[in-house]
Amino acid sequence: MFWRKQKAAIAGFPPLHQALIHDRSLAATLPAAQWLALTASLGRHGESVTRAKWALPARVPDVLVPLILEIGSDLGPKGLLSIVADFRGLKAPGKSHPPRQLPVRPPIRSIAETWSIDPWLRLRAELRDGSTLEIIVVDRERQRRITKRNLRNKTKTKNKFKHVQTIKVRRKLPPAVRGEQPASPPPRWIAVTIRDGQRRGITAATKLDRMPQNGAEQLDRILTVATEPFRWTLRGTR
Amino acid sequence: MTPCAVTTGFFTLGKCGQMAVAGCPACGRALCADHVADGGLCPECAAARNQFSHPASVSAHRRRRYRHSSSQAYQDTVWYTTFDSYDRAAFDPHAGASQDYLDDGDDALVDS
Repeated sequence: MFWRKQKAAIAGFPPLHQALIHDRSLAATLPAAQWLALTASLGRHGESVTRAKWALPARVPDVLVPLILEIGSDLGPKGLLSIVADFRGLKAPGKSHPPRQLPVRPPIRSIAETWSIDPWLRLRAELRDGSTLEIIVVDRERQRRITKRNLRNKTKTKNKFKHVQTIKVRRKLPPAVRGEQPASPPPRWIAVTIRDGQRRGITAATKLDRMPQNGAEQLDRILTVATEPFRWTLRGTR
Repeated sequence: MTPCAVTTGFFTLGKCGQMAVAGCPACGRALCADHVADGGLCPECAAARNQFSHPASVSAHRRRRYRHSSSQAYQDTVWYTTFDSYDRAAFDPHAGASQDYLDDGDDALVDS
């Protein structure tokens, strides 16, 4: 029997850790202490599991674990953190729309455009100041498959890809808190929307044409966007 | 009871407040058992010395980096003044990088 020790180690991991290994996804609502236990288990993954097939997705140690640790530290004693994470990638079944044909003119024979949408991280946290934080990160890919015929009647095919990532963060303030507009505007690449109601909602959103190149940059982008709603309530007024 | 003076939280800052069991030898802050990092240092002082075996030190390092980058992105001079001097020390460009182990003065939070 191959990989016996590693299989036994995986069997001893928490169910959410196993889900990340086998399904490359995770969905749970837990208090901070249980999320911390999961991150501790994820931190020990490399000690006992070395097989590449069972490696954690790269975004888990680089993005998910730091987010759990930092946002978990903002949770209240009874606050819950809900995470739906899907690290199967853009090519997973169900994430691509059916291809559609675009109008063409010679020498191009056809262009088939396919959109793939991957909401790989959704997060909701009940913070200790009474506000609610929601984060959603979506990768979008546009693929154009272009078929053309040249002068020598050879048919050639070319694929063009365009990737865009949207990050949206909404913070619902506590009922009694209105917040104040910050003295300085956010960076130009972040758009802010205010929705008034029983609880004021501040949404910061961005669309990144240039995808983050590594986990640290990805985490930095998410946290930078998430900063904006918190500038509306100065410390001590929450 | 002396409360632990380590800053907790990422966006909603607060003090730990648990019963302190020691003091940081570098900055003198009161520390609870959970926040005593390598060499008895507080997480921020341990992170400034690139000692990351304690999870809180890793978080302190990450927060220092985040505040440094977000302060540059937002150019917000008001929000960061609402932090206390302990939190603002993360913006000191020499606090984490310089390892000169010299006296940084009486007002320095992190004495490297």
